[in-house]
Amino acid sequence: MREMSRRNVLKFAAVAGLTGTAAACSGVGGGSGGGGSGGTDAGGSATLRYAWWGNNVRQENYTNALNQFMEDHSEITVETEFAEYTAFQERMTTQMAARNVPDLFWVPSAQVMTYYANDMFHDLDGLETLDLSDYDADDIDGLRLDGVHNTMALGIFVPVVRYNETMAQADGATLPEGADWTWDGFTEFAIDYAANNPNGNWAVNYGPDHDLTLEAWLRQRGEELWTGDGQIGFTADGIASWLDFWENLRKNGAAPSLSEQDGVGADWALIGERVLTYLGNSNHIIDDAQFFPEATFKLRTMPVAADATPGHPYLYTPRLAIFGGIDEANLEAAGTLLNFSVNNTDTLRITGLTMGAPVNPRVAAEVAEFASPDEQQMLDAVAHDRALERNPRFEAPAGSSTWRTILTRVSEQVALEQSTTIDAATAMIAELQSAIDRAS
Amino acid sequence: MATATAPTRRKSRLNRQGRAAHVFMLPWLVGLVGITALPTLASLYLAFTDYNVLSSPEFIGTANFERMLTDDRFWQSVRVTLTYVLVSVPLQLAFALLLALILDRGMRGLTFYRSAFYLPSLLGSSVAVAVLWRELFGHSGLVNSALALVGIEGSSWLQNPQTALGTLVILNVWTFGSPMVIFLAGLRQIPEELYESARVDGASVLRQFGSITVPLLTPIIFFNLILQTIGAFQAFTQAHVVSGGSGGPVDSTLFYTLYIYQQGFTAFDMGYASALAWVLLVFIGVMTAGHFLLSKYWVFYGD
Repeated sequence: MREMSRRNVLKFAAVAGLTGTAAACSGVGGGSGGGGSGGTDAGGSATLRYAWWGNNVRQENYTNALNQFMEDHSEITVETEFAEYTAFQERMTTQMAARNVPDLFWVPSAQVMTYYANDMFHDLDGLETLDLSDYDADDIDGLRLDGVHNTMALGIFVPVVRYNETMAQADGATLPEGADWTWDGFTEFAIDYAANNPNGNWAVNYGPDHDLTLEAWLRQRGEELWTGDGQIGFTADGIASWLDFWENLRKNGAAPSLSEQDGVGADWALIGERVLTYLGNSNHIIDDAQFFPEATFKLRTMPVAADATPGHPYLYTPRLAIFGGIDEANLEAAGTLLNFSVNNTDTLRITGLTMGAPVNPRVAAEVAEFASPDEQQMLDAVAHDRALERNPRFEAPAGSSTWRTILTRVSEQVALEQSTTIDAATAMIAELQSAIDRAS
Repeated sequence: MATATAPTRRKSRLNRQGRAAHVFMLPWLVGLVGITALPTLASLYLAFTDYNVLSSPEFIGTANFERMLTDDRFWQSVRVTLTYVLVSVPLQLAFALLLALILDRGMRGLTFYRSAFYLPSLLGSSVAVAVLWRELFGHSGLVNSALALVGIEGSSWLQNPQTALGTLVILNVWTFGSPMVIFLAGLRQIPEELYESARVDGASVLRQFGSITVPLLTPIIFFNLILQTIGAFQAFTQAHVVSGGSGGPVDSTLFYTLYIYQQGFTAFDMGYASALAWVLLVFIGVMTAGHFLLSKYWVFYGD
C-alpha cells in the first residue's frame, strides 16, 4: 500500500470530527427565518409580512387573496410567508427568538398563551382601520386574553362526526338519531356496522389524538382541557375514559389499527374510502371531500352523553394577530389587512371557507350565497352549535405546547398495548404538568 | 545586487499570494466564526440557563444536566441512537467493503456501477428519500406488496416499534456509496505484488483477504469508521420525516438529535436542548478520542 501516513489520517479525522461535533452543538434544526423587509417609506406606503399555514391549495388561495388586497390598496405591499402547520410553528419560534416576526400571523392553537405571555400580540382596541361594527360584543369578549382584545378570529370550528352518505346507503346503514345519538349508541352502531357491512369497511377512524373531539368528550363529563388560571382542566379518569372509548372500537374491529391507518393520526387518503365515519373538525370536510369526489359526505353534531354537563358545546376560533413589536408606522396598514382578512366577504370568495365559518355575522350571512354544498354543511354545523348554551373555554397555557404530541404518544402506547389507559393518562398529566410548571 | 533582489521579489510574491489566499478564505472563515463557532459558544452558555427562546435566558447552573438523569425520554433517545449507531455503521461498512471488493476485481461498466452505488449516498439523508421510505415500508407499501406475492401478510413496518428503527438502519446501510468509494481507492493502493507472492506461496483467497487486504486497509477502515459513526450519531432527517417529527411509534425512532430538536423548537426549552447538544458533543469527542487510542492496536500505517 502506498503511504497512507498516520499524520494524514489524523488530519482528516480531526477535521471531520471537529466539523461534525461542532454541528451537533450548533443545533440540528432547519428554521429558515422570514427575512422580510417590512417597513414604511417616506411616501407613506407600507410593506407588511403576512404568515399563515396550510396545504398547497390554501397557499394558492390566500396568495391570490393577498394579491387582490394589494390591487385594492396600492400603497401597501404584502410579503407572504407560508409553511405547513408544524414547519410554520418551528419557523415562528426561530423568528420570535430573533424578534424578526411577521407583521400579521396566524396563531397555532397550542401557542396562543405562550405567544401572549411573550408580548407577541398587539392590542387591537382603538385600531381605526379595523371595523368591529358588525360584531356582537360577546364574540369580541370571547377573544380577549386577560381582558385585552389582541387577536381576531379567522373563523369558527366545531367538533363533528363526518360520514360518507354514499357508503352508508350502499351498505344499508343508518346512523343512530335523536335520543340514540349518544356515545354508547354510536359505539354499538359502529361495532355492529363493522361486523356486518358487506365490504369490510371500518365504522370510524382511530382518533384518540384529535383535540377538538377530545375537548367535546371532556366537557360533556364536566371537565375541560384547560382552566381559566392556566392549569390542566382534565383528570386521569377523563383521559382514560376517552382512550377506553377508542380502544373498545379498535379491539372490536370498528376502527383500524395504527398499522392500517398509518399512525394514530389517520392518513385520510389511505383510509377515506374504507371508513364510514370520521371524528374531526367541521372545516375539514371542505378539503377531505375533495379526495373522493364521487362520494357525498355529511356532518353530524357530536354524540351527546345522556348525563352530559349543561353548556358543554363550545366554539373553537383560530386566531390572527398583529405582531406586538410591529413598526407603529405600519399599524394602520396592518389594521387594513386584518380587516380585509376577517371582515371582507370577497376575501372568502377567493380563499374558500377552510378556516371555518366567519365570526362576523354579516359576512357569515353573505358567504352562504356562494358556499359550496360541503361549505354549507360546515356553516350549518357551526350555526347549530353557536345557537346552544356554551360555558367558557380557555386557551392552552404557556408550557403546554407539546400536549398533543404527548397525547399521541400515550395513545400509541395504549393502541400497541404497552400501557393501560389509566397509566397512560396519568403519565400524560405528569409530563404535561412538569412542562407547565417549568414555563411558569 | 541581483542576488539581493531575487529573494526580495520572491518574498513579495509570496506575500501577495498569502494575502490572496486569505481573501479567498475569508468567506469560509466568516461562516466558520459566524455560523458555527459563535452559535456553538452561545449554546454552551445557554446550556446553563432556562431559556424559552422568547424571553431572556436565566442562569440556572447545572440544572439542565441534572434533569437528564431523571428524564426517561433522554435515556430512550440514548438507547435508540446507540442501537442505530452500533447496528447500522458496521453493517454499512461491511456492505461497502464487500461491494468495493467486487468492483475492484475489474468489470465492464465499472464507472456506471460506481456512480450508481454512490448515488444513494447523495440522496440518503434527503427528505425525498425519507418520504420514499414511508411509501416502501407502509402498510400498503412496496415491501408488503412483495411479501403478499409469496403469501405473507405484513403490517406497517413503520408503525411497529419492533421494526421501525430497523427500517432506518436499512436506509443508512443503503447509503454505503460514500465509504465504498473510499474503500475502492484504498484497495487500488495495495501493491499487486503482495497478492502474487501470496498466490505463489499457495495462500487462498480468504487468507489473502485476511493477511493482506484487511491489514493494509485498516487506515481506510478507521477513517470510514470515524466518519460514519459521527454521521450516525447526528442522523436526523430520516427519523424526523419517517416518524412525522415525533420519534414514534412510542419513541422507538427517537434519535438523540430529534429529541434535541423537539426540546428546542417545539417545547421552547432551548436551554435544555443546548445542554443535550453539549452532552452529544462531549460524547462524540470522547468516543472519537477512544477510537484513536485503540487504533494503535489494530490500524497499520505505511509509515
